[in-house]
Amino acid sequence: MIQKTRCIPDGKKELKKLPIDHYTEANYLYYPVTSARCPEGETCVRGGQFVKIGEVIGTRKGAFFEQPMHATVSGEVVGNEKHVDQSGKLVDCLIVKNDFKYELHETIKDRTNEEIDALTKEEFVEIVKDAGLVGLGGSAFPTYIKLNTKDKIDVVLANGVECEPNLISDYGLMMTNPRAVVEGLIFAMKASGAKKGVIAIKKKYKEIAERLEFCLNEFSDYDLSIAKVGNFYPQGWELMTIKNALGIKIPQGELLSKYGVLNFNVSTLASIYAAVRNRLPVLERYVSLSGNGIHNKNFRARIGTLMTELIESAGGYKDIDVPKVLILGGPMMGTNVTQDDIVMTHTTTSLIVQNEEQLQEEPCIHCASCVYSCPVEIQPVQIMNAYKVRNKDILKQLEVNKCIECGLCSFVCPSKIHLTEYMRKAKSFASK
Amino acid sequence: MQTIKQTSPYIRKDVSTKRMMIDVLIALTPVVIFSIYRFGWDAVIRILVSLVVMVGLEAIAFGIMQKPGKHEKWIDRLKSRFEKYTINNITAPAVSAVIFAMLVPSKLPIYAVIVGAAFGIIVGKMLFGGMGSNIFNVAAVGRIFIALALTDMFTGTYVGVDMIAGGTALTAIRTGAGFPHTLNSYPLIDMFMGNIPGSMGEISALAILIGMAYLLIRRSADYRVIVSSLVTFVVLMFVAGLKLYPDQVLDYTLFHLFSGGILFGAVFMITDPVTSPVTRPGRWIYGLLVGALVVLIRLFGAYPEGVAFALLFSNMFVPLIDYPQWATNKFKPAFFIGYGVAFIALVAIVYFGVGGAV
Repeated sequence: MIQKTRCIPDGKKELKKLPIDHYTEANYLYYPVTSARCPEGETCVRGGQFVKIGEVIGTRKGAFFEQPMHATVSGEVVGNEKHVDQSGKLVDCLIVKNDFKYELHETIKDRTNEEIDALTKEEFVEIVKDAGLVGLGGSAFPTYIKLNTKDKIDVVLANGVECEPNLISDYGLMMTNPRAVVEGLIFAMKASGAKKGVIAIKKKYKEIAERLEFCLNEFSDYDLSIAKVGNFYPQGWELMTIKNALGIKIPQGELLSKYGVLNFNVSTLASIYAAVRNRLPVLERYVSLSGNGIHNKNFRARIGTLMTELIESAGGYKDIDVPKVLILGGPMMGTNVTQDDIVMTHTTTSLIVQNEEQLQEEPCIHCASCVYSCPVEIQPVQIMNAYKVRNKDILKQLEVNKCIECGLCSFVCPSKIHLTEYMRKAKSFASK
Repeated sequence: MQTIKQTSPYIRKDVSTKRMMIDVLIALTPVVIFSIYRFGWDAVIRILVSLVVMVGLEAIAFGIMQKPGKHEKWIDRLKSRFEKYTINNITAPAVSAVIFAMLVPSKLPIYAVIVGAAFGIIVGKMLFGGMGSNIFNVAAVGRIFIALALTDMFTGTYVGVDMIAGGTALTAIRTGAGFPHTLNSYPLIDMFMGNIPGSMGEISALAILIGMAYLLIRRSADYRVIVSSLVTFVVLMFVAGLKLYPDQVLDYTLFHLFSGGILFGAVFMITDPVTSPVTRPGRWIYGLLVGALVVLIRLFGAYPEGVAFALLFSNMFVPLIDYPQWATNKFKPAFFIGYGVAFIALVAIVYFGVGGAV
């Protein structure tokens, strides 16, 4: 109650027990032409054209970068349709009809060890750029920009903490393919010139630690290690992971590279591995359906698969009469969507369907649980009060912009006040 | 299928304000049981009267403060005033009511109990806006009101508890035999168990400590204010004892700790979150303030006892402690320096001040 809360029920135990289903039955695959980071985009294929896996079918254009789109199945381009993407917005999507042959494009050939050894830093960055790799932890920030830093990098951190409840995408990856993570880390070290690589995982994941250690034995030439960090939320927040795994304290708002650190999600590293080794873009992701309003199941599915198909394949919704809350991502920071017509993108890792629960908000009793629990040490209750009277100066003094919207303040409040929502409003109000 | 719009986070911790209030009520049971065991029906009646007055008046005031809906029948309009009335509008005043009842002597006339409880809930709480908005501790407001308005009842000219029982331990040390001799009529073990005259809930240190253990295990009270106020109190009393009775320092300190309302106040009143600051350093400072004020009132003030006064006085400083300009949840060097300097200054004041008084 009146205490610092760091452990939250993570709901992963049940999900881990479920098998991971490889879903390849999608008839049509959908590729959003725009995304939250790229407001514009264009396609370079015509209707009726035949595409193969890994073929470039268009480009998304962001403010300072361009991102190629790749087909993840072979088949015929059949047109355009609007669907919901990861950010919860309706976007235009290119449709490819699956011919179920899964033919690879001619450019997709494995690189030999000699070829990889001969790669220079610039070439690594070029490969990552051409593969259209983005931060798969959820940020969707272009990976090559991070790798292309001018600063001297000492250590690359592989972030496998995944502290959000109900997500097992990174967990599934490290369980089934730890080698890809380790090799991806080595490639990232080569690309950035770092000497050291660290993989951060949760203390309680002993099975993952074993697998990774086994894998690390093969690569004893490199300075690689595993850092076990606490089972807390929000441990996966990059500054917290870096602090606990490397012991480097980085103030908020500073670039990580200034401190000689690069931080990648383990899935991103695995995608770097695939891009360098196999010349492949991101084709598949682990995605789990969870929550009390749906039949739970884990999938490995192609990017572009419609979520409705996965839901149907898993067995559909439970308690149809009860109104549902659909969440993309984790239950603490995920995006709320109002339709299940969702296209899987690079950053889709989970769909949570909860039966609606009525919460009654009570008056604040100043218990200060939110203040104690806040990971960035600001005072949510005071910010709420300042926002209610629209006091911009006080809001700035309270450093509302530090808020990372982790959701802990709302989570711990015994009066069920939605503090995180106040934080968001206060942030946009203060910066107006 | 119907979907609902919500914003993150979508899960909540399994805690509630209701549970916190009920925890305080549970923690109060040892004290209540002891008072009933000790004072019988006198205690039961005063607790019940206080409960009825506080819960009832809160309900009435709550209804008056709400805007009625537009309905034809008056009964519907009345009902619409209570749409937002929740279980917390019962548990919260119930906590205040029990604490208030524990603060008064067992022979206090019923009308005085009613006046105190009514003043506390109306002026101390509802006029500020109800639950969560009050800046003063409700029970302390009621207690201080009757102490000031009906002074005679508490100081001895009134033929009540004090005359019958020969004065509480704290009045005895002031106006009666003086410190070392009071230990003859009030041995420390009796003071610990509660076998002394005094307000109903304050006398048994044992019962209070059981309640404290429960509150701390459940984390329904913040240990910081309890530790801060008690440590301040004990250290300052120890210093005063060093000067006054060098041979019986320990007895003197324990005597003060077990007499009067300091333990009860530290466990059940200072921990009231509504009237506490919201940061960790703030709560340490708040505890220091209360503990120090109790000592200063006891040693230098005109009243034998001052927990309720000290609490109300410290409540006034809470907005100052919480002022965003300097309030922070981090323990900065400035806090340690400030806390340390204040503590040393208080020790010096007590040490030299007490010497002058003797």
